[in-house]
Amino acid sequence: MPKIEKISNRQLMVLVFLYTIGSTILIIPSGLAAIAKQDAWIGALVGVVMGGVTVGLYILLWRLFPGRTFVGICEAVLGKWIGALLSIMFMFYSFIGSVTVLFYAGNFFKINFLPHTPFPLINILFAAVVVIGVRMGLETISRTSELMLPWVLILLAVLVFTLAPEINTENMLPVFEFGWKSLFWAGFSFAGTAYMPIVFLFAVFPSVLNVEKAQIGMYFAAIMGGICVVLITLLCIMILGPNITSRSMFPSYALVKKISIGNFFQRVEVIMAGLWFVTTFLKTTFYFYGWVSSLSEILKLNNYRSLTLPCGIIMIVFSLVVYPDVVYMQYWDSTIFPPYILTMGIFIPLLLWIAGLTKKKLNLDSKKNE
Amino acid sequence: MWMVAGLLAAAGVCAAYEIPSLKAYKKDLWVFSLLLLLGTALSIVAALQGHIPNPLDWIAAIFKPAGYWMQNYFK
Repeated sequence: MPKIEKISNRQLMVLVFLYTIGSTILIIPSGLAAIAKQDAWIGALVGVVMGGVTVGLYILLWRLFPGRTFVGICEAVLGKWIGALLSIMFMFYSFIGSVTVLFYAGNFFKINFLPHTPFPLINILFAAVVVIGVRMGLETISRTSELMLPWVLILLAVLVFTLAPEINTENMLPVFEFGWKSLFWAGFSFAGTAYMPIVFLFAVFPSVLNVEKAQIGMYFAAIMGGICVVLITLLCIMILGPNITSRSMFPSYALVKKISIGNFFQRVEVIMAGLWFVTTFLKTTFYFYGWVSSLSEILKLNNYRSLTLPCGIIMIVFSLVVYPDVVYMQYWDSTIFPPYILTMGIFIPLLLWIAGLTKKKLNLDSKKNE
Repeated sequence: MWMVAGLLAAAGVCAAYEIPSLKAYKKDLWVFSLLLLLGTALSIVAALQGHIPNPLDWIAAIFKPAGYWMQNYFK
């Protein structure tokens, strides 16, 4: 019997905070600016509100089934076979998630820092760190994230304060030019990238101690993470302007290149990239953890650790094929991803919650009748 | 050719590293071996510039109509 790992409620908070920032901070300002132009930051705020609802739904589901992973919930609600089918869909989704985020991380490094290094090699390096982390186990990852948190906060603070002199508020005007519909759509794509992947943390929830506090803390941390991304989006809009933001691939990185204080403190973007490195690493790690642990739970294996190496190889190979080019990436992310994440991140948890609630009620009623 | 040899060697290292600890668990060993075989085969195909099916295309096949509808509705 393997040792059951435990993480504290504060560690879960840190995880959720960094996970929400995740790859969102790197890519989402561009998508938001493409939809809502100078209102992108309002769209992001709408996204935080939607994210609050989403996380609330996950917490309700967690309360209904404490101590179960997503696979366990599927099995408890829908029985062995339909539950397994749903679990496989869920596993496939986390597989897609880990592969695409790995592509994003590799692409970011390839374009900005290592243009002459072959793309597979960058992915192998990044994936190696992820696989080692997941092999070490949940406790190690969560302690690492606790260690990383101060650095992320310091870098975020440096980013905001050094860029404050560059702000040009005229870029924000006119406010509300495009109406609620596009704001809603922008908010949805924000919530889809930042909040709906929290469903993978169901693989982590059974290991959390002090569940009551952890749930409140998780809600708080998710909102705080969202606010950080809103702040970055706002800075992008105010400093770069909506057009450059929507055209650049990594707008927050383009933003950091603008840091220049007295023509002396400048070109610090590589240091600042540590921020994205940490958060993307954590996001890939939990996608990968969700994938590997649910695979081992579906197959009822002894330990998920033995699957990490072969699954890591598969992840690297698919990260090279998923997005053949940037045009396909834009098309997939803006057109196919929203309905997909809506199904996996909202509909299925909602369905499970309603079904679970009804089932519990029926059980109680039948017990009363006896 | 060197790439293929390297990949096979890497797979061999993975197997040598993992299999001794899995001897007691037959099912784990089977799943591990199958996944490693799949991973190695896929990586060799990728190294030889062969075609690997893109899983995103499968999702796109299902969600394309819904995606276009949503995009047009909210524009």
